[in-house]
Amino acid sequence: MLAYVLLWMVLWAMVGGVMTPRIYARKDLDVANTGLAGALMGAALGPFGLALLWWRSPKLTGRWLATPGVLAVLLFAAAFARTYPGNLCVSNGSFVVTQVVNGLILGLIYGLMALGLTLIFSILGVVSFSHGEFYMIGGMLVYYMSVVWLPGLNPLVALVGAALITFLIGVVFERLFLRVMNTGQVERPGEYAILVTFGLAFFLQYLTLALVGATPKKAPRFLDYPRLDWPSPENPWLLRMRAGTVEFLDTVSIATPRVTAALIAMVMLLILMWFLYRTWIGKALRAVSEDRQAAAVTGINPDTMNTLAFGMGTMLAGLSGASLVQVFSWVPWVGTLASARAFVIIVLGGMGSLPGAFVGGLIVGLVEALGAGCIPDPQRAAAYIPAYGMVILTLVLLLKPTGLFGREL
Amino acid sequence: MKRRLVLWGGAALGILLLVVAPFTFLHQAYLVHIGIVALFYAILASSWSLLAGYAGQFSFGHMAFMAIGAYTTGLIGKFVRLASAPTGTCTEFPLGGWYLVLQNATGPNCLERGMAQMPPGSLIVQPPILVGILAGTLLGGIFGWLIGVLVLRLRRTYLALFTIGFSEILRVAINAEIDITDGPNGLELDPLFPNGLTLFGRYFEPTDKLPPYFVMLGLFVVSMWLMSWLASSRFGLFIRAIREDQEAAAALGVHVVRYKVLVFVVTSMIAAAAGAVQAHYIGVITPNILLILQMSLVISMAVIGGLESLVGAAIGAILLEFALEFLRRSFTIGTLTVDMTTWRLVFFGILLMLTLRFQRNGLIHPLLERITRAEALRETVAKRQAPAEV
Repeated sequence: MLAYVLLWMVLWAMVGGVMTPRIYARKDLDVANTGLAGALMGAALGPFGLALLWWRSPKLTGRWLATPGVLAVLLFAAAFARTYPGNLCVSNGSFVVTQVVNGLILGLIYGLMALGLTLIFSILGVVSFSHGEFYMIGGMLVYYMSVVWLPGLNPLVALVGAALITFLIGVVFERLFLRVMNTGQVERPGEYAILVTFGLAFFLQYLTLALVGATPKKAPRFLDYPRLDWPSPENPWLLRMRAGTVEFLDTVSIATPRVTAALIAMVMLLILMWFLYRTWIGKALRAVSEDRQAAAVTGINPDTMNTLAFGMGTMLAGLSGASLVQVFSWVPWVGTLASARAFVIIVLGGMGSLPGAFVGGLIVGLVEALGAGCIPDPQRAAAYIPAYGMVILTLVLLLKPTGLFGREL
Repeated sequence: MKRRLVLWGGAALGILLLVVAPFTFLHQAYLVHIGIVALFYAILASSWSLLAGYAGQFSFGHMAFMAIGAYTTGLIGKFVRLASAPTGTCTEFPLGGWYLVLQNATGPNCLERGMAQMPPGSLIVQPPILVGILAGTLLGGIFGWLIGVLVLRLRRTYLALFTIGFSEILRVAINAEIDITDGPNGLELDPLFPNGLTLFGRYFEPTDKLPPYFVMLGLFVVSMWLMSWLASSRFGLFIRAIREDQEAAAALGVHVVRYKVLVFVVTSMIAAAAGAVQAHYIGVITPNILLILQMSLVISMAVIGGLESLVGAAIGAILLEFALEFLRRSFTIGTLTVDMTTWRLVFFGILLMLTLRFQRNGLIHPLLERITRAEALRETVAKRQAPAEV
């Protein structure tokens, strides 16, 4: 049944996506977002929704996009529940909640990393293809500092060290290789930036592989949580905390390293928001992203801001890697998947949009967690995890290249 | 006129060198093997330079088209058979007096069950390798057309992201669909000449390296000829115009959509053909050829050779492939063992970044320009000096 419903949805989404812009164009109306609205409407309500859309052809506000979007997701969920009544995602509520919370926690950290990428894009106009490598280096540095070089070092100190080092690498790279983009020393700077950051990714990944080898590393958890039962030790229905897991309401059980990572990400987000909106340098950064020349006129040096933004971007990637090294095992090529995910997030959220990166991160985290948990054939589901994000990326690029919060092109 | 002579002479000399090379002191199986791989990368790097350097379409999905070619011919070899009588158990289509049989991927093999019911003496044959390679090339072209149409609206970064996405989805799907593609273990393919080959009275084993070398060399020469012809024709002019300024090109009457799609189709067909031949030569194809590393190698070769020069990219690929192979040897300084299998790639990355930063036109391309334009340079200098003497 699910297959038929999917076929129906995809078919009408394609009809809607292709035909709606033409009908709007024929009626001499604004065609912005028509492809997306048509596709969503077709997926949610089939021919009826499309008939309504084409007959009335309303001005496409956010409501005309959100309502069919939600309806389409609900329709899919209902069909899924009917087809697989025994699936854990349908029959077991606490499993779903656990997956959702885990997805949101990871999404928060992915969002932090994507925030770095979007910061770089909004100021340099460059998508750094080496972002994932900084994520990997951040994790490696924490592992080496707290386990190999200085055993017993508090991992949180190592975290700060990793942030500083990734910041410095970013700054040096920007000064050596990206500064020339604005001085007219390279032709076609946009393409130069793609290739040179790609080259950096290649270099960093193999340098790390040559230095540390291919065996997976796993840092011990940063914090051991105290044993805590609440409201009472006999009946801890609200909260049961152990060194390795935290359980809320007897249903949601989360590994503590993930909680620590989420806390670090939240603190970093707050610091970043404070920095960008309350300090002079932060305001200068945002000014450069709005209008480079106007900012230069008011006495902000755009080149310095470029360097700073690139360093901060790489530092955010390093930090998210550093906080996840206690959750996942770490190999020199973890960055490839992470950078792919960061691309998905910033395209979904809208290139250069800070809230977009955050919301996009949460969505991608959710989709990955639910996708991995719910798809009936678990082995195949696990194998397809890297593809979910890429499917989102492809769809967004085709239907709405500006993303959720992006400026119109 | 002189320049044209130099170009043709250079091309003839280069081909002659490549033809004669395996019969000279270089006649060792290992060296011929590297030669085949180098030619394979040369085809990929030069077709990528046509796509990225000439047309300005920075696609990171070139290896995906290569893999489509390779997997198509591999899957045809694994699943498609021609039978002289209907099996009754498989999916099959009549084809002339024969039947095109598709075997099933899961469950008991339908062909083996069907053979029991077939009339005695009926034949089951595998389609020839050439058919698989042609089908792979064709499918590569179809996917190139599809991707070309989908990315029409996307530029630069968006295009790069989209093509990475396409390549990754393909890699993950091949990895996951183990029943069909054999997943990470890799799909096994027949050699290019499964029954060996007799040429000029000499018999070559199926594992002999010389026939695949000449097949790859032939493909290389044909694709280089095709691409140079395209690049020097109106097509090349138009795609360079689109690269420089799409709107201006369209305003001057260039059919932007047609040429953008066409360049995708041509380059992906060439990549797919190279992939199909290479897969048959190696004998196994794994999803790892879709890793970003492989794409980085092709990009580095094209950039170091010369992004906007087909011949430069090809020579760069051949030189770098040999360099990579000879740098494989690890060595020891005192107690420290340097594992060159990884470090050579580190140096490669540094070389790529430095080339991009300081030698935008690559390392090989300016040398070629010097040679082919030496005469023009002398003439210009002579012309400039002539009035001074008067």
